[in-house]
Amino acid sequence: MSSKFLTHRTGVAGAAVLAVAAVVAVVAPLLIDPGSLDVTRVTAAAWQAPDARHWLGTDHTGRSVALLLAQGAGTSLFVGLTAAVLAVGIGTAVGVVSGHFGGLPAGVLLRVTDFFLVLPALVLAIALSTVLPRGLGTIILAIGLTSWPSTARMVRAQTLTIEARPFVERARALGGGHAHVIARHVLPSVVPLVLVNATLAVASAIVAESTLAFLGLGDPARISWGAMLHQAQLHGAVPQGAWWFLLPPGLAIVAVVLAFTLVGRALEAVVTPKR
Amino acid sequence: MLELRNLTVHYGQKRVVDDVDLALAPGRTLGLAGESGSGKSTVAMSVLRLLPRTARVDGQVLLDGEDVRTMSWGRLRAVRWASASVVFQGAMHALNPVRRVGEQIAEPMRLHGTPGSVAELLEQVELPRHKARAYPHELSGGQKQRVMIAMALACGPRLVIADEPTTALDVVVQAQVLALMTRLVAERDLALLMISHDLSVLAQTCEDLAVMQHGRLVERGRTREVVANPRHPHTAALTAAFPVIGDRRHRWAEPRPAPEPLLRVRDLVVDYGRTRAVDGVDLTVGHGEVVALVGQSGSGKTTLARTIMGLRRPSSGRVIFDGAEVPRGGRALKAFRRQVQLVLQDPSSALNPRHTVFEAVAEGLRVHGLREDEEALVTAAVERAELRPASLYLRSLPHELSGGQQQRVVIAGALVLRPRLLVADEPVASLDASVRGEVVALLLRLRRELGLASLLITHDLGLAWQIADRVAVMHQGNIVEQGPAEEVLLTPAHDYTRALLAAVPVLGPPATG
Repeated sequence: MSSKFLTHRTGVAGAAVLAVAAVVAVVAPLLIDPGSLDVTRVTAAAWQAPDARHWLGTDHTGRSVALLLAQGAGTSLFVGLTAAVLAVGIGTAVGVVSGHFGGLPAGVLLRVTDFFLVLPALVLAIALSTVLPRGLGTIILAIGLTSWPSTARMVRAQTLTIEARPFVERARALGGGHAHVIARHVLPSVVPLVLVNATLAVASAIVAESTLAFLGLGDPARISWGAMLHQAQLHGAVPQGAWWFLLPPGLAIVAVVLAFTLVGRALEAVVTPKR
Repeated sequence: MLELRNLTVHYGQKRVVDDVDLALAPGRTLGLAGESGSGKSTVAMSVLRLLPRTARVDGQVLLDGEDVRTMSWGRLRAVRWASASVVFQGAMHALNPVRRVGEQIAEPMRLHGTPGSVAELLEQVELPRHKARAYPHELSGGQKQRVMIAMALACGPRLVIADEPTTALDVVVQAQVLALMTRLVAERDLALLMISHDLSVLAQTCEDLAVMQHGRLVERGRTREVVANPRHPHTAALTAAFPVIGDRRHRWAEPRPAPEPLLRVRDLVVDYGRTRAVDGVDLTVGHGEVVALVGQSGSGKTTLARTIMGLRRPSSGRVIFDGAEVPRGGRALKAFRRQVQLVLQDPSSALNPRHTVFEAVAEGLRVHGLREDEEALVTAAVERAELRPASLYLRSLPHELSGGQQQRVVIAGALVLRPRLLVADEPVASLDASVRGEVVALLLRLRRELGLASLLITHDLGLAWQIADRVAVMHQGNIVEQGPAEEVLLTPAHDYTRALLAAVPVLGPPATG
């Protein structure tokens, strides 16, 4: 499977971008002196254009945009990954249960899925993060709770196909119960699909996080790419002509989201059997 | 009409058709026999250049003296269907499920601008006119196959290629479809190239016969002569593989006294919604006895088997196994399932493609929490199913095995739990002739060595004759006749049994009287 993935050049490029982003996210908090990000202790002037000392200039308080960008990578990736795992987890559980058991439980679960599917996800996420206490957890929860229905639908469809195969009937005839059929036959064949879906879900979760942070609903104590855009907008980066405060976080989001999507598509091509 | 000269087809480096010469004159019928992988379908598809792009075709394919290989795209389109048409294998997949069959029959006529009427074509294939408005799922397998034939005739071709036209149909419908094709060939003066793995089907419809093996043509000649005196050992093996009902040499079951009953079914009724699938059935299987349950598709025999296994709930009636009623759920049902095992028709789908042979066979042990000696038990079961030495197969995945080997894995998976009754649903229907005999022999040997009783569900009366002690004939949810195999198959009492027997194709010239 890994050798097949390597034949998808766009996928490999995406993976490379992700590797760089991950290294930055992990290493940045260790290397960056907390003082340089503290508004009260920075020495540089505000709204400085990029120069040799500040590669990407400074923001409205004189902090280096390059350092903010590196520091924000961790938050964006962390929120994106955990929210995607949460969404895919809920979606897989709902999909497998409704596909396997059918009948009344499936009916109830599917109506709930439909409810979340028609709800505008962003509006629901905004509502949730207004009601719940502000913080990273709330953002993750808000994104996770609104983006699982598509996974649930897809997993259910795959579960139904697998359940109709004769080898599941054979497993039942051998005496296998629900747990056996799900664990040995349904889950293993659903997992590749779920993995692909998870990669794509990370991309949309990162966008969702940036959106919420941009709207000012993020964790105010943390630096993330979306929060940077929020600050830039709030403190008038546009009238200042400070493109260096707007473009880098925006481009970083585009790059990482594109990378996740490319990897997801490549994985999809690898795990889907050719017919 | 059609002439193949030195036809050779490669897929990549693999040579699937090797130097085949064939000729078919107008109005003649030619049967092409062979097992799966013999290249017979590739030969047929090369006639209309329907092979995938990866295929490399050498030699000449002359249709009315013109080489199909060098035809321009436009010329090829004109020739397809108007000069030669195809009745594809598997009518259920070859029809578009979301369009009415009438539109689908009319499609080639519209494309070629041929005059004609769908109603007339339907009449020719003995379907009522109003069926033109039906969707494929509203038709039975035999009716769909008739639609495929009507479609093939739509543009009045002079050559029809039929690829396994009757596979997956039961004997009665198969006999009807074959009779229809024979009639149409005679009436319309068609040339027919028919492909099948079943020699008896070809023997009934074709004047000439060609036999393929490993991509080569091993024998050809008049059907009558080839069947009566096969010169090539492969042809001989193919002719011998199909049991002749009434022939003592083909009866492998040895007579034995009536055993004590192991399974008793009393007045069983099963409903699917409002449809009554099984309607008051009484059936007994003795210790170590092989009982064949025969009937057409839709007769309820598969539902009956599922209910016996406890996979479906009966609406009323009782299933008694070894003196106790079969439990409906919980731990007791699980324990019961150790005693009764299922062998399904199509081994390639009965095995999880992600599980190795070891995992597939060990699955039953794991379900029942029998962790001790797993390795030894699995090895023993695999060797019992005649995959020797087991170590050669345990790490393989299903797609690396042949159909016969896969079916042995399924049987091993059943044997590992030491069951007392095997319910086998068409265990050899999807296997090639040569493998079929071996699997049948295996089932008999298991009976002899382990005292394993079997309930064999089949529409293949020849199989029943080969190994069954007793035969039960099922029709529309009822068992219309049951008794010792010799009695039921040689002196049938019920009209339906006689109709089934009359429909079985026989090798050699069509029987008269």
